[in-house]
Amino acid sequence: MKMKMMKKKSSPVNERAAKVSQGDNGNSPLQRESSNGDYRGNLVRDLRLEKPSFKVLQIRDGEKVRYEVESADLEAPVPAIRESKYLRREHCIEIYRWMLLNRRMETALENLHKQGKVVGGVYFGLGQEGCSCASAYALGKDDWMGPMIRNQGALLVRGFRAADIMMQYMAKAGSPTKGRDTTSHFGDLERRNVVAPISMLGDLVPVLTGVALGARLQGKNIAVMTWIGDGGQSTGVTYEGINFASVQKLGLVLVIESNLWAYSTPSDMQYGVKDLADRAIGYGIPGVIVDGTDAMQVYDACHEACERARRGEGATLIEAKMMRMKGHAIHDGADYVPKPMFEYWKRRDPILRMENYLIKEKKWLSSADHEKLIAEVEKQLEAEREIAVNSPMPTPESAAGGVYCDESCHQIKPRYAMPKDRMLGQNEKQVGLKQSEAPVHFK
Amino acid sequence: MPESAVGTEKDREITFAQAVREALAEEMRRDSTVCIMGEDVAEAGTPFKVLSGLLEEFGKDRVIDTPISEAGFTGLAVGAAMTGMRPVVDIMFGDFITLTMDQMVNQAAKVHYMSGGKWKVPMVMRTTLGATRRSAAQHSQSLHAWFCHVPGLKVILPSTPYDAKGLLKAAIRDDNPVVFFEDKMMYKMKGNVPAGDYTVPLGLADIKRTGEDISLIATSSMVQVALGAATMLEEIGISAEVVDPRTMWPLDEKTLIESAKKTSRAIILDEGYERYGVTAELASVIATGAFYDLDAPVKRMGAMHVPIPFSPPLEDVTVPTEQTVFEAARKMCGK
Ligand SMILES: Cc1ncc(C[n+]2csc(CCOP(=O)(O)OP(=O)(O)O)c2C)c(N)n1
Ligand SMILES: [Mg+2]
Repeated sequence: MKMKMMKKKSSPVNERAAKVSQGDNGNSPLQRESSNGDYRGNLVRDLRLEKPSFKVLQIRDGEKVRYEVESADLEAPVPAIRESKYLRREHCIEIYRWMLLNRRMETALENLHKQGKVVGGVYFGLGQEGCSCASAYALGKDDWMGPMIRNQGALLVRGFRAADIMMQYMAKAGSPTKGRDTTSHFGDLERRNVVAPISMLGDLVPVLTGVALGARLQGKNIAVMTWIGDGGQSTGVTYEGINFASVQKLGLVLVIESNLWAYSTPSDMQYGVKDLADRAIGYGIPGVIVDGTDAMQVYDACHEACERARRGEGATLIEAKMMRMKGHAIHDGADYVPKPMFEYWKRRDPILRMENYLIKEKKWLSSADHEKLIAEVEKQLEAEREIAVNSPMPTPESAAGGVYCDESCHQIKPRYAMPKDRMLGQNEKQVGLKQSEAPVHFK
Repeated sequence: MPESAVGTEKDREITFAQAVREALAEEMRRDSTVCIMGEDVAEAGTPFKVLSGLLEEFGKDRVIDTPISEAGFTGLAVGAAMTGMRPVVDIMFGDFITLTMDQMVNQAAKVHYMSGGKWKVPMVMRTTLGATRRSAAQHSQSLHAWFCHVPGLKVILPSTPYDAKGLLKAAIRDDNPVVFFEDKMMYKMKGNVPAGDYTVPLGLADIKRTGEDISLIATSSMVQVALGAATMLEEIGISAEVVDPRTMWPLDEKTLIESAKKTSRAIILDEGYERYGVTAELASVIATGAFYDLDAPVKRMGAMHVPIPFSPPLEDVTVPTEQTVFEAARKMCGK
C-alpha cells in the first residue's frame, strides 16, 4: 500500500527499489523511521536483525582527553545469522573458508612482520572478513572490483594467492607489482578484473564507475564493486562518483565499511546522518544497511545489487555496520577506542558467528570436517609463505624505466567489444558534427 | 607547560617534531585567532605525533578533527582566514596536496591581488615531503614545486629543528597563504632550539657550512645529505659550502649567487623531481647571477623521474644520497 501512494512520475529506479523492498521473502523489510514520506522509507532497506547505536564522546579527564562510548546496547545478546535467500550449503562453507583464509593469512603477515620480513606496516581486516569475502563472492566473472586496503579477503576470493599479498608486503620481485607498490595495492585488468586500490580515499569510486561506463559503451552492463570507509566516504570525489553512476544508471555497488573509526576519528565526528545508507536518498539510488559481521546478509545485499547492476538499472549503496577490531595499522595500538566497543564486537566476531551457524545451527559442517578445513587452510598458507619468503628482492636497476607504455610494452584493447559508432535516434539524420558557436558567455 | 618553564635555557635539544609543536603552541598562546584543523590532529596528534598535547592544552574548538575531506577543510581555512582567523591546516601526507590545489591555487593565492589588495588569507598549510620511508608512490612524493609555481603563495622548507620553529612562527604571523613542508624522515632529528620566542624571517638563506671549492645548495631533506657529502669531500681535500635557501618563495637569490661566485661551482639538491622542478629554478638563478664566475655548468640532483617505488632496493636509488652527491662533487672539482 505504500507503493500506491508513490507519485506516478517516480523514476523506474525508485519503483524497482520499492519492489525489492516489498518482496523480501518473508523477512519483511524493517521499515525505517522516516518523517519524510514513503518514497524515502522505501529507498533504504535495513536487513539487520539488531540495530545497536553507539555515541562516542570526547571527555576531558584532568590533563587528558579521551573517548567514551554511550550505548544502551552494549550487553545485548548476539543475534542469529540471517538466512540467505540465495546461498546453498556449499556456498556458505566456501565463503566461510575464504574468511578463514583471510584471517589466517593476516595472522601470517603479522608474524612475518614480527620476524622483520615485512617492509612498512601491516593492515588488517580483522572483524571485517565476512564483509570483504561475502561481498566479493557476489561478483560474477565479468564483473569488476576495486578493493581498499582492508579488503585482502576480496583479493583472495577474486583468485589472487596469499603468496601474492605476502610478497607485496615483503616488497619482493615476485610480487604482482614487482616490488613497485605495497600491501594490497595491486590488481589485474586482464583476467581477474581488479583495479588496484588508490591511496587517496574516494578516488576509486569514479574510477570503478568509469569501468562500468566503459563496459556499457562496449555493449555490456556489469557490476562494479568497490569499498570505502566511514571516513573515506566524506571525500567529495565519493559523491561525484556515485552521482555519475546514479545519473547514468551504471552498475556501481558501493560497500561502505562502516566500522565506527577512521584512524583516531570516531564516526560521530565524520558525518551528521544517523546511517550512511541514508545518503542513498540524496543520490537517488537504493540503499541497504547490513550487519557487516553477518556474511549472509552482506552476500544477499551485494547479490541483489549486482543483479540490478547487470540488468542496467544502476547503482546501490550498501552500508555494512561493523567494527575495526585493531588499530589503523600494525603500529597503532588503538588505545583511544573505548574498551566496551571492542568487547561488544568481539562477541560478534564474523568467523565465530559463521562457525556457529554452520556447525551448531545448520549442522552443515561436522567438527571433524571443520578441523580438516582449518588444517587445509593452514597447509595452504604455509606453502604460500614459503613461496613468498623465497622470492628475491628486486634489483636496483629495475627502478628506472617503465613509466610510459610504449610499443614494446602492451596494448589495451576494448575489453568486451568495439564500441558502436555514434548511435542515431529514429528521427535523427547523419549531419556530421554540429557546427556551433563557442559558448563565449560561459566563464 | 614544562617547555615554557625552561625559559631561557640555552643549548636545549629537542626534535624537529617537538620544534613544530612548540611553535604552534607558542603562537596559539600568543594569538587566540590561531587554530588547527586536519585529519586526526586532535586525539591522535597526527600519525607522526607532531601535535600531541595540543588538544589537551587548547581544546577541541581550536584543535579541530575534520572529516576526511582535504579539499573541503582547505576551503574552510580560506573562509576562516577571511574572518580574521589564522588557521593552520594539516595535510597528513604531501601527496594529498593534489586534493587541495583548487582552493590553494585558485582562491587562497589569488584573493589578495584580485581583490585589488583589499582582502587577505593569512593561513598556513603544513604538510610533508620525502621518500625512503617505504611508503610507496602515493605517500612518498615531494611536490613542493607545484606550489612554488603559483604567484601569491609562500613556500617554506625547513631543514633543522631551529629553523622549523622560527620559520613556522613567522609563517603564522605572515598575512599571506604559506605552505610549510616538513620532511617526514626528519621528525625525530634533534637540534638546538631556544625555548623562548624567536622567528626566522622568510626569504633569508642560511649557510649551514662554509667552504671554498664548491657550493652545495640543498633544501629540506637534502641539507643533511649535503652536509654528509661535505664531510666525505673534506677527507679528499675538497672544501664544500652548504647553503640552505630555507624558503622557496621569497627566495634569497643574493646568498645563493654570492656562494656560487665564491666557490665557482654549484650543485643543487632537492628531493622533488628534477624535471621542471625546484632545482631548475635555483640553477637558473645561479647560472644567471654567477655566470662569469663559474668554472663548470651548474649541476642538478633530484628524484629520479619515476613514481617512487616501494621496495627498498628500488626506492633507495631514486633519491640523491651522500655517496652520489660526493661523487658528483668530486667529478665537478676534477679530483
Ligand atoms: C584523501 C585521503 N586523505 C587522507 C588519507 C589518510 N588516511 C588513510 S586511511 C585513513 C582513515 C580511513 O578511515 P576509513 O575510511 O573509515 O577506513 P578504515 O580505516 O576504518 O577502514 C586516513 C585518514 C587518505 N588515504 N586519503
Ligand atoms: Mg572506518
